Amino acid sequence: MNTARFARNVRRSVPFYLLLGAVIVIFLFPFYWGLITSLKFEVDIYDFSGNFLVPKRPSLENYATLFKTPRYFIWFWNTLFVSTVTTVASVIVSVMAGFAIARLRFRGAALAGTLVFITYLAPKNFLFVPLAQILKDWGLLGGLPALMVTYPTNLIPFCTWLLSGYFANVPREPEECAMVDGASRVGAIVRITLPMALPGIITAAIFSFTASWNELLYSIAFVSGDQNKMLTNGVIGAFAGGDYFSWGPLMAAATISSLPVAMLYLLFTDRFVSGITSGATKG
Amino acid sequence: MDTTSRLETRSTSAFISRLFHKDSSLGYILLGPAFVFLAVMMAYPFVYAVYLSFTDKQIGAPATFTGLENYSKLLSTSLFSKTVVNSFVYTAFALILKFCGGLTLATMLNRQFIGQRVVKAMLLLPWIMPTVFSTMIWSWIFHPTFSIVNEVLVNKLGLLAQPIPFLRDERWAMASLIFVNVWRGVPFFGITFLAAIQSVNTEIIEASKIDGASRWASFWRITFPAILPVVIIVMLISTIGTLGDFDLPFLLTHGGPNDATTLFSLTAYTLSMSSGFIGLGAAVTMTMFPLLILLVIASLISVRKQQQD
Repeated sequence: MNTARFARNVRRSVPFYLLLGAVIVIFLFPFYWGLITSLKFEVDIYDFSGNFLVPKRPSLENYATLFKTPRYFIWFWNTLFVSTVTTVASVIVSVMAGFAIARLRFRGAALAGTLVFITYLAPKNFLFVPLAQILKDWGLLGGLPALMVTYPTNLIPFCTWLLSGYFANVPREPEECAMVDGASRVGAIVRITLPMALPGIITAAIFSFTASWNELLYSIAFVSGDQNKMLTNGVIGAFAGGDYFSWGPLMAAATISSLPVAMLYLLFTDRFVSGITSGATKG
Repeated sequence: MDTTSRLETRSTSAFISRLFHKDSSLGYILLGPAFVFLAVMMAYPFVYAVYLSFTDKQIGAPATFTGLENYSKLLSTSLFSKTVVNSFVYTAFALILKFCGGLTLATMLNRQFIGQRVVKAMLLLPWIMPTVFSTMIWSWIFHPTFSIVNEVLVNKLGLLAQPIPFLRDERWAMASLIFVNVWRGVPFFGITFLAAIQSVNTEIIEASKIDGASRWASFWRITFPAILPVVIIVMLISTIGTLGDFDLPFLLTHGGPNDATTLFSLTAYTLSMSSGFIGLGAAVTMTMFPLLILLVIASLISVRKQQQD
């Protein structure tokens, strides 16, 4: 009887697993196609004869081409540098603001929360025209500082909103106990409350870092000169400029550049999902 | 050191520690940096954009006030009317499909199955991947002559006689653009909806099943109304993001063919950065503003409601 029930369960699940398989193929095939294209020689890329799902002569030539691109590593360092600076700055500012909005009672706290939410809702590409003018007025247009001061416009509102949701759920008692025991207010916050909000802070940091790593419009509009490019516009400019696209190195760049971000997320998926959803459901 | 100055230092440090101790003063101190930054980098640029949109500012030339001339100029160009229509078509279709796809994905992931954790993590990849690079992969998949989709449909399976002109035909280009946006967005919708579904009280659902309600009926009568607030917030936030999308049309279609896929941000970029008409570009972004206000107010109301429940 148990085997009969098992067989029935299996038969009932078949449509489900078929659908699941189709979903997985649709969502993941592009990555596979990008990966195997990156492993083919230029001539094989356009050859679909036989089994096109496996590269006939796997090679790392496209990766070599990519790394030999004169400024590839400069773009990589630019991206790493700008992403790190903006992430650290944005998270520190957002931790302060998020804590104040969620935990402190003062006139205007609710208004500040609403204003932060409104700035989060503003589309990130809404202000690039005036920002370009302002950067020009300040003499920052063209270099990396232009990106460091503008990226946080997208990061601080989201991180503050996310972190205020986190701080609202961290219990208050430990902080109060520490103060009774003689710790200063700031000491109690830094040593007791911040570690308890660490999952939220990590989520905010991952979000900020990947958002900076992936940014496109500002790096196209605000920065000039090959040595100031980020990975995104650098690679596009080198391999997808004009009419001719070098698909091999492009796919190699897509694979390589996505790896760090994907690893980061796979390590923190659960935490990140709970952070995002609590951010999306709480204010 | 004499006593008065020692007293003074002591009182200053006492003053500072009081400042950091009281909720009101600490609140303003902690909010300060964020507030100053957002005022300088968001509020000021916004006012600047309003001003620029009323001038004939061009790259390298001084601005003179021209009133509503930019706006009347925009209304008479086909580029702008196409931008408006494209943006609405793109946003409406993408949102409807992301909603349906997200709900389907969430109900699928809500079941127990082998390898659930791995599948969940992997299905997030389209959303996690840098848009720039996943879009490059899609432009290779949609290649005019070497599209793998056409290769499979036409040559391997023989389902189609003619290859699909993914990015060369105006309608197909818009459809491809919407498809990639949906592909990117569905995982996020799915995971968010899933978290909402899993926080719904399962007892009520079980009870309704015992009462003879079908799975379908109990989902639409009990689960869906319970997750509706989350659904509305996610939809509103995504609407704003989709309406302002730049990366996808810039990389996949360059707004073409024949301006059939240009959206607000790309038109603003083309006019201001490529052609140098900064005032006109600013005016394009400002035309988004009335709609944005409505969406922001709707989001605020729904978040407020959600917080009260």
